Amino acid sequence: MAANLPDNLRIAADIGGTFTDIALMMGDGTVAISKVPSTPDDYSRGVIDGVSALLRDLEIGPGEIGDILHGCTVATNAILEGKGAKTALVTTRGFRDVLEFRRVRVPKLYDPLYVKPEPLAPRELRFEVTERMAADGSVVMPLDEADVLRAAESLRREAVEAVAVCFLHSYANPAHELRVGEILRRELRDVFITLSCELLPEIREYERTSTTVINAYVGPPVATYIRNLAAALRHAGLNGQLLVMQSTGGILDGETVMRLPARIVECGPAAGVIGAAYQARRTGHLNVITLDMGGTTAKAAMIENGALVRTDEYEVGGGISLSSRLVKGGGYALKLPMIDISEVGAGGGSIAWFDRGNALKVGPNSAGAAPGPACYGQGGERATVTDANVVLGFINPTALAGGTVGIDAKRAHHAVHTHVAQPLAVTVRDAAWAIHVVATANMMRAVKAVSTYRGRDPRDCVLMAFGGNGGIFAVELARQLQIATVLIPPAAGVFSAIGLGVAPVEFGQTRAYLCRLSAVDPGHLRDTFAALVQEVRSTLGRRLEDLNITYYAAMRYVGQAFELPIPVPSGAPGPDELARLRVAFAHEHERTYGHRSDSDAKVEMVAVQVVGTVRGSVSDERAISLRKRRPLARTERACFFGPENGVRMTPVIDRTGLSEQPLCGPLVIEEYEGTAVVPPGASAALDVHGNIVIVTTASPLTN
Amino acid sequence: MNTPTERSDALDRVVNPFLIELIKNALDTIADELALIIMRTAYSSIVRDAMDYSTAVCDAAGATLAQGLTTPLHLGSFYDAMRNLIDVYRGRIREGDVFIFNDPYLAAGQHLPDVYIVRPVFIAGTLEAWATTVAHQNDIGGMVPGSNSIGSTEIYQEGLRLPVLKLYAGGVEQQAIWDIIAANVRVPDKVLGDIRAQVSACFVGEKELSALFAKYGAATLRTVFAEIHDYAERLTRAEFAEIPDGVYSFANFIDGIGENPEPIAFHVKLTIRGDEAIVDFTGTSPQVKGGINSPVPFTKAAAYTALRSVLKSEIPNAQGFTRPITVIAPLGSIANPVAPAACGARGITGFRMIDCLMGALAQAVPERVPADGSGGATLPTIGGMHNGKAFVFVETMMGTTGGAPTHDGLEGVAHLGANQSNIPIEMIEAEHPLRIERYALVPDTGGPGKFRGGLSMVREFRLLADEATLTVRSDKRRFPPYGLSGGHPGTPSWNVVNPDGAAQVLPTLFKDVFTLHRGDVFRHTLAGGGGYGSPLERDPALVLKDMRQGRVTLSHARDAYGVVVSEAGVLPAVDVAATIALRARMASEP
Repeated sequence: MAANLPDNLRIAADIGGTFTDIALMMGDGTVAISKVPSTPDDYSRGVIDGVSALLRDLEIGPGEIGDILHGCTVATNAILEGKGAKTALVTTRGFRDVLEFRRVRVPKLYDPLYVKPEPLAPRELRFEVTERMAADGSVVMPLDEADVLRAAESLRREAVEAVAVCFLHSYANPAHELRVGEILRRELRDVFITLSCELLPEIREYERTSTTVINAYVGPPVATYIRNLAAALRHAGLNGQLLVMQSTGGILDGETVMRLPARIVECGPAAGVIGAAYQARRTGHLNVITLDMGGTTAKAAMIENGALVRTDEYEVGGGISLSSRLVKGGGYALKLPMIDISEVGAGGGSIAWFDRGNALKVGPNSAGAAPGPACYGQGGERATVTDANVVLGFINPTALAGGTVGIDAKRAHHAVHTHVAQPLAVTVRDAAWAIHVVATANMMRAVKAVSTYRGRDPRDCVLMAFGGNGGIFAVELARQLQIATVLIPPAAGVFSAIGLGVAPVEFGQTRAYLCRLSAVDPGHLRDTFAALVQEVRSTLGRRLEDLNITYYAAMRYVGQAFELPIPVPSGAPGPDELARLRVAFAHEHERTYGHRSDSDAKVEMVAVQVVGTVRGSVSDERAISLRKRRPLARTERACFFGPENGVRMTPVIDRTGLSEQPLCGPLVIEEYEGTAVVPPGASAALDVHGNIVIVTTASPLTN
Repeated sequence: MNTPTERSDALDRVVNPFLIELIKNALDTIADELALIIMRTAYSSIVRDAMDYSTAVCDAAGATLAQGLTTPLHLGSFYDAMRNLIDVYRGRIREGDVFIFNDPYLAAGQHLPDVYIVRPVFIAGTLEAWATTVAHQNDIGGMVPGSNSIGSTEIYQEGLRLPVLKLYAGGVEQQAIWDIIAANVRVPDKVLGDIRAQVSACFVGEKELSALFAKYGAATLRTVFAEIHDYAERLTRAEFAEIPDGVYSFANFIDGIGENPEPIAFHVKLTIRGDEAIVDFTGTSPQVKGGINSPVPFTKAAAYTALRSVLKSEIPNAQGFTRPITVIAPLGSIANPVAPAACGARGITGFRMIDCLMGALAQAVPERVPADGSGGATLPTIGGMHNGKAFVFVETMMGTTGGAPTHDGLEGVAHLGANQSNIPIEMIEAEHPLRIERYALVPDTGGPGKFRGGLSMVREFRLLADEATLTVRSDKRRFPPYGLSGGHPGTPSWNVVNPDGAAQVLPTLFKDVFTLHRGDVFRHTLAGGGGYGSPLERDPALVLKDMRQGRVTLSHARDAYGVVVSEAGVLPAVDVAATIALRARMASEP
């Protein structure tokens, strides 16, 4: 059997909080998947064991495997658990407290007892040296190298493991930072050193300092992790290249990631969105809203014209945020591009409760994996979203389809009855419906944050749902947003691993470019782009002809604080193209915010960016299809679809029970890794790409 | 297909218990969306970085249902203003109108820089709701750049007064109003840009509200809107009922205005009775000949902010929240001035009223209230001409809190009344002829206590233009932040020009602008936070940590905390025996 497999085999392993998803991607697009428990004491063990078991099952030797694609939480966890390196900061004299003051704004109003997170570099490890640049890059005060040597001595004495260097205006002139880097790298050989000008040469000192400190703080643990994993993979006979997922959704070789680990801090939810974008392109959908719903949260992202939407405003460890935009200050500012994802505390484990005004709330507190929903029978008492879905008949009343988790429907009924139905004086079914609808409303905010908040109309999109619970809520959400089509991709429950397998090898680099558009010198801009291309090329270690290069300019009206990224058609835009850039910016501004300024309003660039993607690292020619399917027996059960539709006997099928000929709802589609609900009035079919396509037509369920 | 009315019947049967949650969620989402639009499109740094603006969704009567709140002292800012608007324009509110106003006396506004832009939402020809915004404009004319002069004595000196006017009448833009604003403000491109951002937020609000009405129907929404007010009221009453009944009094002061300042007193008497609260400012100083009088809508906002801060529930920003609260402010006092009292710099009064009310609340709910902090935005404002162009720099400088019942005070944490940001140094220097020379903590400035007050923050500005005017509204020099439960006060604030040369200490709340010349350095030092609990009870290990971090010096550790630290070893260490002896001696001293 192994002899017939295509030789281009890749392994993808995505570590989640509870499970590690593993996928073996074959050259023809078929995929074999497995889900194994994550091993928090040493995550690489779970990866190696899971991969080895899957290969054994398939009778494939490790020597046949090429690239190993990996999504890991090591950087995020180091920050969330406070287990990063002993980190110091070297900064301009007079400014060591910039990191601690942050932007002053706090994430919560009306909380006089608010305590903010401790700085990742404590005050006694923040050193000031004499030097100063002006905003135009001119030297106000030369670097005092004796200061630097004194700081190096203290750093050695304190046995720091990592140092961040960030000087004011270094984005405009990095000379002092580069010189300090030289000295420190010479003086402190085994210490991880990050310069802000190498990581993030952009304006705004707090965000740049914080990002640089994060890079330093996670550098040593990420390096250790990647080295150990690479060694363990080799030991297991897997000799392919280790490629790691970044927060942007591109993958990058392990060596580079070790140098720039801040780039992987928010990679957790990225892989799923990449998978969605891939599948959307294949199926010809340009505009997609993704919904990734697991046990604790629901995450939404947007794919627009086939491209991901990215942001660089983010805080690590800020708690669950609807969108990081209005609630700043809760975590550690990280100003590197990432996929723009909004998240709400609405997952299968989210708990229903009443506040003091007797309003029913769902989440953000979650029963998590332990004790889990009441129906898991592992000690959970409170009514959760999953319990409600069991009561409604949407979730299998005996076991989740794979059989790994037993379901006790009686416990679900009891929890919903005691904690919601009795206080509301309604039936258990109506109470479960109430939980279901409130959870849907919470998710609506996540979806709106990435669509209508940005001036995008959800009706122009399809909704692609994945994660264990995404398919249960997708149609209802889609109906409320007037979205006509829902897609449930193949392997929806392990979709992150699929996403890893189709992610491009990619690297982007940004540089400050504060300049009125009317004053941009095309020659200078061309040289800046060329320098960035050179950086991108050498980081990726490829020849120019192997890369697709895209150019962007972050632009705003003069005086505004936030920029919009505008694609630049080439790396050498002439006067005509620059003029068109102004039009493109005005158009984008109007689309996003509903208005544009007068034609003579001044526009400026703030930063420029180059993104390089390795050609042929992803082939759009391959369909994703699951290698093994175990058809489920067709059954029926009673499902409650709200007061208007009432209880309906509903066929329960699996994906193989669908064809291109649509079946009318109600239907429940159960799979190994997740469930999809097709309510009355909607219909479901299977397209040639293996997606479940649900046409939502009919009025919203709830009203 | 069901009609909205039929659907609402179905909803009443089954969904009503949680329909409020759904619609409240939708209204919050709309209010947040408006706030986001303004933040991202605003031109002036006071709006975009300090986020000194708010948005709201109101019902047909103008009562706030949801507020996209970015500045707490704007809580309730739409209540009186919308009531006034609807009175004034009764019968003349038309579809397609957009109203603009700012005047505290003619339009129940806050102060002239806070410009309101509001739009009625008509559904099938009936007024059903409002999309509303208010934003602090960078400048609205008047005596000084930024329009927040402490020295003004009448509102006529403070800038352009706008009674309630139609900026759009039946969908037609009234160009004259734009022209009048442009002619009266110092930085018209920024001000008009920000107002335009407010207008577009209102248009989006109208669109979203229309969609909500199309979905649920007007009958259902009217019912739910009323229920949202009741719900906020229920939550608030449940919270007050838990606070011990009683009368809690506190006094606090503003240093006074000018060279020979007369202290301005705030007296508050907080009565908790059952599930209601009465905030009475009787005894507070009369209105003053200066720009710091607080129009009564702002006094109410201060009271609401302080009370909300000690309540534990997530209370929606709906007007029903205020029903169990009575605010009494004597007419003619600084908390309820009569026209034409000046009020451009009334922010400081709002902050002080919050600080005062927190002192009273500390007696009622001691476990929920920290000692006093540096006291809200000081608005250092530097303006002038540079290279032939006018510039105005304004910043909401703030950020030190007092020691709390369970932890030390912090630096870089916004005041309860105004959740505002600093402005990035690199942005200031890229846009203005200023160089920031220091932005740092000052050691030994936190009020000693079991939990130490936060330290002073200092920011130094060097002028790189030939000449500029400076105003700043900081006090807490004569009356520094108070301690609680035996904690000591923090250190006073200071404003000094050229501290390292011919130093000149500026008076607190000086009335006239100060003129800076090229190369001058303005050092702006905030007060240190008050301490909580006796400093002799502070864990010596924390004092040692403060020393290691440069927050406390050796001598201050000894004098203020009775902690003796020996630097004889490799690392400094607490001398336990000497500390016990010293603390015993200090405890016995009066």
